[in-house]
Amino acid sequence: MNPAAPSVKLDHVSRRFASGLLALEATSLTVAPGEFVSLLGPSGCGKSTILRLLAGLDIASSGCVEAPALDGHGADTAFVFQEPTLMPWATVWQNVWLPLRLAGQGRSQAAPAIDAMLSHVGLADFRNAYPAQLSGGMKMRASIARALVTRPRLLLMDEPFAALDEVTRSRLGADLLNWWAEQQFSLVFVTHSVFEAAYLSQRVLVMSPRPGRIVHELRIDEPSPRTTDFRLSPRYQAICRELSASLEQAQ
Amino acid sequence: MPRLSPALIAGLLCVVTGFASVRAADKVSFATNWKAQAAHGGFYQAVADGTYARYGLDVTILQGGPSVNNRPLLPAGRIDFLMTGNLLHSFDNVKNGVPTVVVAAIFQKDPQSLVAHPGQGYERWENLRNAPVAFIAKDAQFSWWQWLKVTHGFRDESLKPYNYNLGPFLSNARSIQQGYAVAEPIYVENQGKFKPVVHLLADHGFSTYSTVIETRTETVAKRPELVQRFVDASILGWVHYLYGDRRLANAAMRRDNPEMTEAEIEASVALMKSQGIVDSGESLETGIGSMRDARIRDFHAQMVKAGLYKAGDVDLAKVATLQFVNRKVGLEEKARLTQGAMPKAPAK
Amino acid sequence: MKQPFLRRLLPAATLLALLAGWEVLVRVAQVPDYTLPAPTRIATTLWANLPSLAASWWFTLKITLGALSLACAGGVLIAAAFALVPALELALLPVAIILQVTPVVAIAPLILIYIESTTAALLLCAWIVAFFPILSNTLAGLRATDPNLRDLFRLYRATPLQRLRLLLAPSALPYFIAGLRISGGLSLIGAVTAEMVAGAAGRETGLASRILEASFRTETPKMFAALALLVLTGLLIYLGFNLLSRRLLGRWHASEQR
Repeated sequence: MNPAAPSVKLDHVSRRFASGLLALEATSLTVAPGEFVSLLGPSGCGKSTILRLLAGLDIASSGCVEAPALDGHGADTAFVFQEPTLMPWATVWQNVWLPLRLAGQGRSQAAPAIDAMLSHVGLADFRNAYPAQLSGGMKMRASIARALVTRPRLLLMDEPFAALDEVTRSRLGADLLNWWAEQQFSLVFVTHSVFEAAYLSQRVLVMSPRPGRIVHELRIDEPSPRTTDFRLSPRYQAICRELSASLEQAQ
Repeated sequence: MPRLSPALIAGLLCVVTGFASVRAADKVSFATNWKAQAAHGGFYQAVADGTYARYGLDVTILQGGPSVNNRPLLPAGRIDFLMTGNLLHSFDNVKNGVPTVVVAAIFQKDPQSLVAHPGQGYERWENLRNAPVAFIAKDAQFSWWQWLKVTHGFRDESLKPYNYNLGPFLSNARSIQQGYAVAEPIYVENQGKFKPVVHLLADHGFSTYSTVIETRTETVAKRPELVQRFVDASILGWVHYLYGDRRLANAAMRRDNPEMTEAEIEASVALMKSQGIVDSGESLETGIGSMRDARIRDFHAQMVKAGLYKAGDVDLAKVATLQFVNRKVGLEEKARLTQGAMPKAPAK
Repeated sequence: MKQPFLRRLLPAATLLALLAGWEVLVRVAQVPDYTLPAPTRIATTLWANLPSLAASWWFTLKITLGALSLACAGGVLIAAAFALVPALELALLPVAIILQVTPVVAIAPLILIYIESTTAALLLCAWIVAFFPILSNTLAGLRATDPNLRDLFRLYRATPLQRLRLLLAPSALPYFIAGLRISGGLSLIGAVTAEMVAGAAGRETGLASRILEASFRTETPKMFAALALLVLTGLLIYLGFNLLSRRLLGRWHASEQR
């Protein structure tokens, strides 16, 4: 736990778009330092909007947002999109270099961090490959490597595994838990999968459809590292049932 | 069977030959080298007043123009007769083995000239070569401009393309440009409101015949009577045009080229007469269209001197044939027309 | 298609067959030289006139490549300006379109009236023909950047220069190259057309003037010889840009993946 970590908070935040659409209504949430929080809800419930507000990519219509990105700590926040969003004209190595490069680090200066991160995510053999040559899962690893290479305090992930197959998804989920345990960043994880939210996160916030509001909160006290045993346990199934129920209620 | 009286026989013959001559009118196409203008008047006259028809010819005139090149149509067989501006084209044809030949020379003098602004010293021919800008059109660039360079010291540095737009010349008092002595000066006066200085190339050694009639050697060999009829009718057309009532011809030309005005045509005809373009020198003796071998040889020699051809490039015997001209065609008609005060309808 | 050898053989073989057919036709039908010369006659004429034709070829090449470079520079700069200042695009795009659709044969005489130097006038005419594809394609490319990447660059506080170098330029590159390939051929056409209308004889002249000259003097084989050089130039430009595209985009862009 990092004592000097900046706070991550939404305080009665609303977001109304220029078209008149109300995406978020008076939403409040807090993320403790190093906490893994999931935002669970159907499409269009404002989950992505919350991420964009926390990243400083969007501005609240009312209410107060506190986040590292808004405090001038640019490199402290990282974002992983649903699409890998790699630069197709650059190699995997060059893609992972991007955040460091934008911060002014030259090739040789950044090399140790990049090489270490590539090994960490299992892409060391593909450092000179182009995204077009990678599978979906590998591209997502590269995207996560890019996000983590700056050792961010806050990681925002917007349904990162939604486009992947079952096997890849569970493998990446397990790896994500390991990386989170090592670097201890705060993580806000958006998903529409009850099972994923239950298995990965420490706290799940269930949201209602437009206009988005948080309607339910569930703590999952299962300690890390979580194993397949947890997935098979009745406690897990109970959690899932509870989450599904509150999702349905929120409709 | 009733006896056929002479009158009946004569009548039958008339019907038959009359029928035959109507059916036997030869369809002939004649391409000019510009849009219809007074310099084409005689040909349009022969169509308009029925002279061609009387000679058993159904003539279609195809206009040329600034971006039209009718020349390749003749050897390709698409037209029967072609109007050519000067003998250089004919020399080129013979040099390149194109089987065409000149059969008549309607203009005794080439109206090709250089025009300039008055009061710039260009009244003297010698000063023209020093003009900073000379507007010369594409086909001239590759023919008589070369002669001007070699014989009269003009330089390529002053050459600029002439796109048949008077604007650049009118706006630059020091510039000169090419012009047809019977055309451009009139337009310059109309648009620029000043009388330009005109120098005929013919007065400075460019002794070519102009507006010559060319046809395929094949036509001359196989149908000489057709060629003779066309030449004779064309000569008569020119006599009627210059000395008779040319209103129908002018109307026909203005139909083909609506931008031409009656006033411009008449001014051009006046210039043709005063400068002796069509009817002067040889033609006064042997009729419009006359040609002399000596003159053709002389002109060719000058062009060789100017470096346009190498001696022996052109077989002069093939350039023109004199068999169809120099026969005093039209002289009587001209005398008749110029005696009377009123223009009369052409005699049969 | 199958092996690369066959791929290269087929177009070459077709061309040769066409040329052979042409030769046979001319000989059998006894078509005269001044109407349609045989390929062998054109080749001998080309060889006989090589020094002077080569000089004209060089001039045309200079105008073409000069216009193309200017079109590149102009097209890219204007596209960048339009991308940065949308109001500028609204104001000026109609002008660009008008320039594009007005036939250069009509504009060339006018340009010649206003511009002193013939070479400058030729360059301008060829530029007008060639710059628009580069402009419109590059503009499309600049706009086609992945919005998520754009967000990422914002997140990492990229400077405008970094954005241009690392995001916009590479994103726009495939589109720019597509425009360049089109403009390569167009600048040749523009250079030739402009010279046909506006060029002058005597001094430095390009192949277009030589074609006209040969046409006026009924030297048809020489006309075809000059034309052959023009065709060759167009082919070389096409192949050159194909190679460039493969070099720059081959490893990562869909357009170059087999």
